[in-house]
Amino acid sequence: MISHTKVRIELVALFSACALFLSTIEYMIPKPVPFMRLGLANLPIILALGIFTYREYFLLLLLKVLGQGLISGTIFSYIILFSLAGSLSSAIFMLLIFTLFKDKVSRVGISLGGALASAISQLFISRLILFKEATYVIAPLFLFSGLISSIILGIFANEFIVKSKWYSTLKESKV
Amino acid sequence: MKKLTPIDIIIFILFLTIGIMSFTLYSTVSENPEVHVTAGDKEWVYDLSVDTTVSFEGPIGFTTMEISNNRVHVHDSDCKNQICVLTGWIEKPGEWIACLPNNVFIVIEGHTDIATEEEADDISY
Repeated sequence: MISHTKVRIELVALFSACALFLSTIEYMIPKPVPFMRLGLANLPIILALGIFTYREYFLLLLLKVLGQGLISGTIFSYIILFSLAGSLSSAIFMLLIFTLFKDKVSRVGISLGGALASAISQLFISRLILFKEATYVIAPLFLFSGLISSIILGIFANEFIVKSKWYSTLKESKV
Repeated sequence: MKKLTPIDIIIFILFLTIGIMSFTLYSTVSENPEVHVTAGDKEWVYDLSVDTTVSFEGPIGFTTMEISNNRVHVHDSDCKNQICVLTGWIEKPGEWIACLPNNVFIVIEGHTDIATEEEADDISY
């Protein structure tokens, strides 16, 4: 018999692998500024809410940031700071929204909240270390791309949760 | 299709408001186009209509900016990739040139109807 811990670790690994795959897809899409992100890799994180424990959730997050750094080759550059700040703040904010509202919020709201937290923290870092006062030039671009992509991601996540039988078995088996 | 909840809508409106507010930042700048240059911790302001050539010192050397005929470009830079030089001339408010390796950022500020989709795309490239 396979132990319960092993099953859970494999589940985290599966979600992380999915995040890395989506990061690769995202990396192939051309973008005007290198650190701008569509946030495709946040899909597994949005889906992890409700089926992962806090430890598993943050483990997934860490693996996602490291994996993205490896794939884009930015792991040892300052861009990892943007990635880390964005991912961490959005993950914490999404977890907060989810724990506060539970079933009163759909994945669209969670996704939007995550994108907003991510955009704001990245703009803040950009203001701090890169563009200083001139950050406002890139702010609208940052915010609106995040707005649109997070709505699409949220709708996808909603649909996935309703339709996937695999996902509903995960939900039931949560400890 | 799963239904959206009121909280979804509230978060959406909050996001949209912040997004629109970020656009209004553009119109708070002064009438005459000015060239704002940030190099390291310092910031300089030049008049776009006065022709001049200035050098800024950054961590890897000098970046020379030239203002002529109401346009700005980086004439010369000690950086390796020369992206700032290749950016060429900029003239409209909101346009910018960045030399990341040398930590120099040049942006034109001034009064403009910049909040259109086309302009936003111009800025991105």
